[in-house]
Amino acid sequence: MAQPITVLNFSGHQFLRHRLVLSILSGKPVKIDKIRPDDKNPGLRDYEVSLLRLLERVTNGTVIEISVTGTAILLKPGVIAGGSVMHECPLSRSTGYFLEPIVMLAPFAKKPFNLTLRGITSDDRDLSADLIRTVTLPHLQLFGISEGLELRIKKRGSAPLGGGEVQFLCPIVKQVKTLNFVDPGKIKRIRGIAHAVRVSPQFSNRMIEAARSVLNRYIPDIYLYSDVYKGEDSGKSPGYALSLLAESTTGAIHSAETVSQPGVTPEDIALQASRALLSEIRRGGCVDHQHQVLVLLMMVLGSEDVGRCRMGEPTPRTIQFLRDAKQAFGTSFKIIPADQADPESSELLFSCYGTGYINTNRSLA
Amino acid sequence: MEQQQNRAHRPAQSGAKAEKKKGKGKEKQHGFNEKAFAPKSGRRAEKQGRRAAERDQTRLHVPLVDRTPDDEPPPVVVAIVGPPGVGKTTLVKSLVRRYTKQSLNQVQGPVTVVSGKKKRITFLECNNDLNSMIDVAKIADLVLLMIDGSYGFEMETFEFLNILQSHGFPKVIGVLTHLDLIKKASTLKDTKKILKKRFWTEIYQGAKLFYLSGVLNGRYPDTEILNLSRFIGVMKFRPLVFRNTHPYMLADRIEDLTPREQVRESKGKCDRTVTVYGYLRGTNMRMGSKVHIPGVGDLEVKNITKLGDPCPLPDADSEKRRKLSEKKKLLVHAPMSDVGGVIYDKDAVYINVPGNFTRGNDEVPQGEGERMVMDLQDVSATLEDAVARSQIKLFGSSSKALSVDPGPSRLHGSSDEESDGSDEEEEDSEDEGFGTESGWEGESGEDNSDVEDDEDEGEGEGEGGGTGNRGRSAPRTSHRAARGLSTAHDRNGKGKDVEYADSDSDLGELGEDGDGDEDGGLGGGRRVRLEGDEVDIESDDDEEGSDAEEAPRWKADLASKAHAALGSKRRKKNWMKLIYSSDLTPEQILRDGSTSPSGDNKMDEDEDDFFTIKSRGTAAAGDEELDMTKEKVDPKELKQWEDEELLDSIRGLFITGDSNATAGGDDGYEDLEGGADFEDLEATGDGENEEGEQDAEDPEAARAAALAAKKEALKRKFDEQYDDPEASKMDFYEEKKDEIARQLQLNKAEFADVDPEARALVEGYRPGAYVRIELQDVPAEMIENFDPTYPIVVGGLLPAEERFGYLQVRIKRHRWYAKTLKTNDPLIFSLGWRRFQSIPIYSLDDHSIRMRMLKYTPEHMHCYATFYGPVALPNTGFCAFNSLGGDVSGFRVSATGVVLDIDRSTKIVKKLKLTGVPYKIFKNTAFVKDMFNSALEIAKFEGANIRTVSGIRGQVKKALTKPDGAFRATFEDKVLMSDIIFLRAWYSIQPRKFYNPVTSLLLSDKGEWTGMRLTGQVRRDEGLKTPLTVNSTYKAVQRAPRRFNTLKVPKRLQAALPYASKPKLMKPQQRQTYMQKRAVVLEPEEKKAIALLQQVRALRKDQVARRREKQNERKEVHRKKVAKEEAKASEKEKEKRKEYMRAAGMKSKREADREEGRSSKRRKT
Repeated sequence: MAQPITVLNFSGHQFLRHRLVLSILSGKPVKIDKIRPDDKNPGLRDYEVSLLRLLERVTNGTVIEISVTGTAILLKPGVIAGGSVMHECPLSRSTGYFLEPIVMLAPFAKKPFNLTLRGITSDDRDLSADLIRTVTLPHLQLFGISEGLELRIKKRGSAPLGGGEVQFLCPIVKQVKTLNFVDPGKIKRIRGIAHAVRVSPQFSNRMIEAARSVLNRYIPDIYLYSDVYKGEDSGKSPGYALSLLAESTTGAIHSAETVSQPGVTPEDIALQASRALLSEIRRGGCVDHQHQVLVLLMMVLGSEDVGRCRMGEPTPRTIQFLRDAKQAFGTSFKIIPADQADPESSELLFSCYGTGYINTNRSLA
Repeated sequence: MEQQQNRAHRPAQSGAKAEKKKGKGKEKQHGFNEKAFAPKSGRRAEKQGRRAAERDQTRLHVPLVDRTPDDEPPPVVVAIVGPPGVGKTTLVKSLVRRYTKQSLNQVQGPVTVVSGKKKRITFLECNNDLNSMIDVAKIADLVLLMIDGSYGFEMETFEFLNILQSHGFPKVIGVLTHLDLIKKASTLKDTKKILKKRFWTEIYQGAKLFYLSGVLNGRYPDTEILNLSRFIGVMKFRPLVFRNTHPYMLADRIEDLTPREQVRESKGKCDRTVTVYGYLRGTNMRMGSKVHIPGVGDLEVKNITKLGDPCPLPDADSEKRRKLSEKKKLLVHAPMSDVGGVIYDKDAVYINVPGNFTRGNDEVPQGEGERMVMDLQDVSATLEDAVARSQIKLFGSSSKALSVDPGPSRLHGSSDEESDGSDEEEEDSEDEGFGTESGWEGESGEDNSDVEDDEDEGEGEGEGGGTGNRGRSAPRTSHRAARGLSTAHDRNGKGKDVEYADSDSDLGELGEDGDGDEDGGLGGGRRVRLEGDEVDIESDDDEEGSDAEEAPRWKADLASKAHAALGSKRRKKNWMKLIYSSDLTPEQILRDGSTSPSGDNKMDEDEDDFFTIKSRGTAAAGDEELDMTKEKVDPKELKQWEDEELLDSIRGLFITGDSNATAGGDDGYEDLEGGADFEDLEATGDGENEEGEQDAEDPEAARAAALAAKKEALKRKFDEQYDDPEASKMDFYEEKKDEIARQLQLNKAEFADVDPEARALVEGYRPGAYVRIELQDVPAEMIENFDPTYPIVVGGLLPAEERFGYLQVRIKRHRWYAKTLKTNDPLIFSLGWRRFQSIPIYSLDDHSIRMRMLKYTPEHMHCYATFYGPVALPNTGFCAFNSLGGDVSGFRVSATGVVLDIDRSTKIVKKLKLTGVPYKIFKNTAFVKDMFNSALEIAKFEGANIRTVSGIRGQVKKALTKPDGAFRATFEDKVLMSDIIFLRAWYSIQPRKFYNPVTSLLLSDKGEWTGMRLTGQVRRDEGLKTPLTVNSTYKAVQRAPRRFNTLKVPKRLQAALPYASKPKLMKPQQRQTYMQKRAVVLEPEEKKAIALLQQVRALRKDQVARRREKQNERKEVHRKKVAKEEAKASEKEKEKRKEYMRAAGMKSKREADREEGRSSKRRKT
């Protein structure tokens, strides 16, 4: 009998990463067209090609076809192989761009992941290595992926020249746990990492001072680490950044980060970061808004039970993800306001019935 | 004759006898004598304790989630399996009769009956085809394994048990029949005992085995069936892993929906659209997933519909009764059998009830009522379609009618309206003196017109409102507005402009002016209607007005302040609808259709439609929308955090939050989370105006309550720790079970209040539901060759299982299968739902270095097999067959195993030895030829290890130029010209990409499926000879004996050697030695002694000879006797065999007579 394979069809260059992830996890081929067709420089960007190459590297049997103009791709996913892989990231995007989809795939690989990425470790577009280490990985721990989950920042690299290196280690699981996270709790501590490379180490201390001036009023339990990398480990370009995270009594994490910009004092950077953190806290919910997609994906992949999570208002990425996830897995979420009583609340309760995704790649032999 | 009257016995009321009796009775009542069971020694006590603990442990199983719902479980599948002629149909009939008091004439397909208040049973008879047995083994919850007691076990029984074992073992009850054929009581007892023993070894010690004696009135005796049904009734089922992760359905009805015309045109060859009906089992069946019908293939589900239960459980009316009422007992659902005169066939329903009114029967006079019902049945379009088709023109002169965008948004729009309608209905009932019947009529009418309503509402009062219903809806709307529900109405307004956006640019426009416009229009409409009312209308004009309406003035002010602070006010949206059933982009959803910079942009573009800029490339090159995780931080938004009040407002989100927030309890906290900051502002900043009254007593009370709760918790904790820290702790097993139970509770509760359609969307169709699954592109042969005696199983596939790949499995040849299995011979696998033929390669792990191919499966050992096929989850069991036909003698299950790994490539290697010979030898170097053909090949193998047969190791060095394919090699020692040099290499092989599903259900003769044949079989069938290459023939190797020449040392060299090393070459001795030439003469005594010894030996020899002779004589006699006896015994044996064969022959003949159609061959164990 003929085996008609359902192909996921998307268009546009946006949301490429989660679409590729959904395709690889669901095993359905994905076809993405209209990738910057009207642009001066049409087609895939170098970092997108690099991402495709990385995905091809960490999987076995993946077939990627890119059209002549580069405005359409077809990806027939293979199995997620894992193992130790080394990848050189282009300087147009930071390692976070590549790590995010890998974090989603890694628990379902055949062998535990040991991925080394080289390039820029923090910029203002994607999650920096610090945030991934301190925020993304704890979010993964909610789903029972914890033993041996680690991100090592070997070298830091700032834009534009990079030169950083991170190592991502992830164990494999048979199935992710069902999430039931509806109590956001109250913020009990704030942590932060201020790092400065190839600039005066005093910069990080200045940032810490400034951040404390805003945050000290709320809570005494604030530790902001000053993380200075020197010499070889500090990459090729000067830069500094402050990443903050607030943890609640129930383990909900909110985060914010600001990266150095030319002509802005470290104090202003710190103020921006701490205010962004306050906005994020005010947004509410049990998960950081940048990690909604990750949490929702893991909920979709959970066992065939109802998973619930309370979140702030969804981001555009989240909304698109919900639609794409429905196409790939057929799972739709029930989304209701978290408190029915309070009309002004923007927090939502996402609940879904997991697909019972089992890591088929895992080998017993 | 007069009966003698005896005095009645009066037991003694007192005295020793009475005492004794009392005592005796009492003693018996005691029952448990503790002393009697007390251990006598410490060791014994320890032993007893250990045993008790062990028994306790046997109770424990791995906690598994049972996904079958408790409230409405699907019927239990009871499969009746056994060889032909064993009485399966009789048993089904008897059991159905027992449960429903109805007799079935002909049992075909599944029969569902209600067996208890919370229990239903589906009986399924399994025919003797191996394919059916496989399918049945995958779905049966309980198997009634029938065995002919007068005949014994048959091969099919064992095969079925092995299939069961590899697909998760369901419960099995053995049923012995035909016991009445055994006449002698002792033989009967022995037979029972033997069969039971065998049965127990096959299943487990103590497995239940039933004995059914003869047949009465075509059924088994009622008491025996009653007992059996009781056992079926109390059976508990443990969830099986595979079924607990897959949805599945046993189809009890199948229908072909293909248009007849299409079938006719294609001469019945076109792919069909088929619906199958049945109860869902396993897990939730979701839309969008594929299904597999074993015997047919993977099929696309077009849609699933939940139907009314044809065999419903008794509902609440009999809830109080303990037993099932007699009325309910009559329920039976067997569409393929002839119950109640209705038989559902694949393409028709046959009703066997004459003299009734039927459709299309014109002879019977039809009354008005009948005609009306028939007209209603004739309606081809739904109300919605009719509405959609109806054309409304704004003006009489309009050329185009208003059209409705038939997007997905329609759907929720109408549902929205309907809910509105129901709201209104509720209100209706409580106010306004509308009569009930008119209310009903009006409502239905209004539902009808509502759809039109929302079209013309925006446009102002069109002539669409000409109907009487319009007038009715108006006061109601006003009523709603007056009640302050205008927010809801606003929301509707929002929903509407969202829905009617045809394109993005339209939407922007709507967002701009359509919004205001429509609001104005609505407001205007309201104003007109509200003329009679005293409500302040002006406040309706803007959105906030309605909120501010009831609030004091200060609050309105504050709200606007907050509004300014927060940018835009958040409204409640229906996120599910916006996300899943609207075409809006995510940004639009978030922006909520309000004015936005991008909207303005688009407006601008729209204005000069002469020159549309194709892309804003140049302008947007810098800020091209990247796929970013971090969102651009709006500095304006951050600016607001300079405000002290705002900073203070989120204090409650921290544990150090001020006491006010904590004392206020959750409500204050909840408010804060909601992002509704202005309420908090009022609490902290503007003083306690509103909450002042509340705060007066509320904080005190709340604080007291919180304190009390805290104390209570602390006390409990202390108690737990102090009393017994162990007692409160649950063990792992309990914990897990508790967790599972909690999760199930949550699963049930979460979607309980969602309406069924939405629920099906979110969680799929739950097990226990009777559904109709519409399948597309079903092969025509399935319908053409449909046979109800072959079960149709619809198995849901997980997303991973639709894929293909190489499966690595652990496999073991079945020890009853007579042949070994050979690599690259096709094998039929039953794995997951599927049955398919594939070509495995067997392998073994070679020192964890490589996977080495095996030509044949090892005896009594597991090995690996790798084949191409559809993916199954690791840890899934399977069984394999070489042939599924019924004409195969011997055991058909050839192997069993479990899936280990799934990949897209394999790493199996086989050994390859390249041989060559030296043609020139230097010291440790040799030139080797005949191993390779070209220098290129050699280049690939440079540095490879080589070896001679004698064990001298070496290395490939470099290719030689002269003879092609020769190379230089070095060795650790000098090699000989006669040495063969070989290179051991590993050649990787891939299994052939061959996948052939067993499409047995598509055949007219379902047992005759043949897959790929073996080469030998093809040659045999085609009458071809096996090709014989000369090189492959075995010839005796002629080896000349090796001669070694004598070592010759040159004379000069010899002379130079030291004496010790000189070859010692001596001439042979010429003269006789002394020992040779001396003469030996005996002494007289010696002579005598020797003579004596000789005589003694001669005597002894003679004696032994005579004794042996005698023994032989005796033996001869005995042998004769034995031979005689043996002859007698063999005669007897012959007679016995004759008798037995006669009986067997008669039996088979009887059998053949009984079932003439089923000519399946019976094979003796």
